[in-house]
Amino acid sequence: MSIINYANKEIQFKIVYYGPALCGKTTNLAHIHNQVDDTNKGELVSLATAADRTLFFDFLPLNAVTIKGFKTKFQLYTVPGQVIYNATRQLVLRSVDGVVFVADSQWDKMEENVESFKNLQDNLARQGTNLDSVPYVLQYNKRDMPNVAPVHYLEYLLNNRTRRANSFVAVATNGQGVFTTLNAISRLLLQKFAREAEETVTKHQRPAPTPNTALSGIAANRR
Amino acid sequence: MNQMPIMTIQAAERLLNALEDFLEKAEADYAMIIDRGGMILSQQGELPDNADPDIVAALSAGSFAATRELALRVGESDCAALYQQGTNSHILISAVDDDVVLITIFGRQTTVGLVKFYSAKAIKRIGAVLQELRTTKHVGVLFTKEDISAAENLFAR
Repeated sequence: MSIINYANKEIQFKIVYYGPALCGKTTNLAHIHNQVDDTNKGELVSLATAADRTLFFDFLPLNAVTIKGFKTKFQLYTVPGQVIYNATRQLVLRSVDGVVFVADSQWDKMEENVESFKNLQDNLARQGTNLDSVPYVLQYNKRDMPNVAPVHYLEYLLNNRTRRANSFVAVATNGQGVFTTLNAISRLLLQKFAREAEETVTKHQRPAPTPNTALSGIAANRR
Repeated sequence: MNQMPIMTIQAAERLLNALEDFLEKAEADYAMIIDRGGMILSQQGELPDNADPDIVAALSAGSFAATRELALRVGESDCAALYQQGTNSHILISAVDDDVVLITIFGRQTTVGLVKFYSAKAIKRIGAVLQELRTTKHVGVLFTKEDISAAENLFAR
């Protein structure tokens, strides 16, 4: 759930990278972490097993563009893809604002892709929400592998809902498509936020108030 | 799910006051209020070793959520608090309500009993502020699709 903080002048969003095991979720975050300016990112935290398989989640806080004086912050999470960690995936999905579903393009991973996508829908339903309410994009990763399914087949399998999502091809190991995907989901979230704010104003039938500037000098963090 | 999308300046001030008062009485080092998704709502004090508050928040939210689920699976109706005992710094994570958690970090200068005692009072104050935020209609900051489109690069590289 996005949070607007008038004291800090920040808007925060939570994005979760979801998908089957070893599809490239962590690789996406690692590439983003390597590329973003030091001043605009925090540490990439990975709670993983000894074999570098995500155990709980990966986490990467990012500062993005400032819009109308409000800093936009995105918190990126990945979930563990292995089937046994479903309870953990449910916890990571809490208060999610947007989802990047990362699919493994290889032919022999199709069943896992479909199961993972269904799992995402089931876990969102447990939280009382669904993909009609939560903005999401699809990333078809590992396009450099020799035995990949064509994009239109992946679209048929994963993007055949009433409203189709934006989808992107990627090779996360070399960064191809990683920022295109991130930018897309981030813009979707900002647009949804702008739309909802406008609807609130219309509902109240009054212009948006100017926050109390006399208090704007209060530091939110008195550390 | 309780909705709390907007932190007004007045609410932020009240939360800071509640945390400041709590830290002083409990003699703790640092306190943070987060939502269950790991977003920081307020914070006060000094984190040990200059730890990143975003990471502390994310890890605390995950830990608390996992422990709470574990408690439910073994037949407990709820998990009100989680205590991590360290050598120099200890962490107490306490539920404010279903959606919000209070994290307290303290050292040897105080005791977990004192921190728990004063955290109960702090939680009541924090809960009251959050309840008011949830039930009061606020109009959010307005920016348009054009403002978003004008931002060419969302992430600086």
